[in-house]
Amino acid sequence: MRADVVQLALMAGGLTYLWRYLPLRISLGDMPQDGILSRFLAATGPAAIATLFVAEMLPLLHGTQAAQGREGVGVLAVILAFAWRKSVVFATLAGACACGVAAALGLS
Amino acid sequence: MSQEKSPLLAGVQAVIPLVLGYFPIAFSFGVAATRTGLSPIEAFSLSLIVFAGAAQFLAIALLASGAPVLVAGLTLAAMNLRHVLYGPTLLQRAGVHRATRLGWLWAFALTDEVFGAALGALAKGQRFSEGFMMILGFGAYAAWLAGTVAGAWAGGGALDAWPSVGAGLDFMLPALFLALLLSILSARQVPAIVIAAAATVLGTWFGSATLGLFAGMIAGAVAGLFGRKGASHAG
Repeated sequence: MRADVVQLALMAGGLTYLWRYLPLRISLGDMPQDGILSRFLAATGPAAIATLFVAEMLPLLHGTQAAQGREGVGVLAVILAFAWRKSVVFATLAGACACGVAAALGLS
Repeated sequence: MSQEKSPLLAGVQAVIPLVLGYFPIAFSFGVAATRTGLSPIEAFSLSLIVFAGAAQFLAIALLASGAPVLVAGLTLAAMNLRHVLYGPTLLQRAGVHRATRLGWLWAFALTDEVFGAALGALAKGQRFSEGFMMILGFGAYAAWLAGTVAGAWAGGGALDAWPSVGAGLDFMLPALFLALLLSILSARQVPAIVIAAAATVLGTWFGSATLGLFAGMIAGAVAGLFGRKGASHAG
């Protein structure tokens, strides 16, 4: 096994476990909702995910028109599926399926 | 009217949709991991140790790009920081039934979807119990591991003959990020999201993809500090 893969898995897995477990031990739910730490933690997740989504989509600007078309179909499907079922898994699968169907129909 | 079921039955019923959803996404992860040069055992290790879908997809992208392990690890950790709110939220909903004796165990599997499914069950009247959380979390974990093994075993070239399926699986990661973003979207977080997105674009265009990631996450999180107080119920 590659050392960098093991190191990354242990670091990401270890910290993710701490994020999930430590709040159960230190009553994080009791902290003031408008406190600095609370607002920082609340903003970090959305900021990180928005960052990652934008970082994933940026290379598409340099892709072919067909690729941009099918990815646009996928984005639309995710939004509509989430609005319908409010499920991350369902919306993700719907987006991937829509993108695959768009590719099969010629947007590839 | 609420109906209380046994933890075993309620857990099994709640985990079935997760199993059906997790398996194909994990399969996609296994395929993507081996396509970027990871061995099946390395792909499996990431699922075994990390168990965080979007973070794992990003991990293989960062590994493939040659990002330093420390940078990659901190990026993944920042991405998963939202998980600190899940346990306290569930315990708050658990009320007098709150229990954390086995929290060290079930907290490991407290992913976005497990949290969402647990919250939904509690809202429908299911009594909180650690047995319920164990079945829900580790049922989803089993599906995630099985999907990863199947995808890694199929291998990176498994979809060469089906380019449409490959296109769909390639879109799995941005779709997952977008769905996660929609799931936590609130009016209060819009400034942080907009600033994070803008900083990512600027950092990427005028620097590098790694700089864009850091700029977006830090700028967005800091923007949250200056957000309006008392607006948490908006959106």
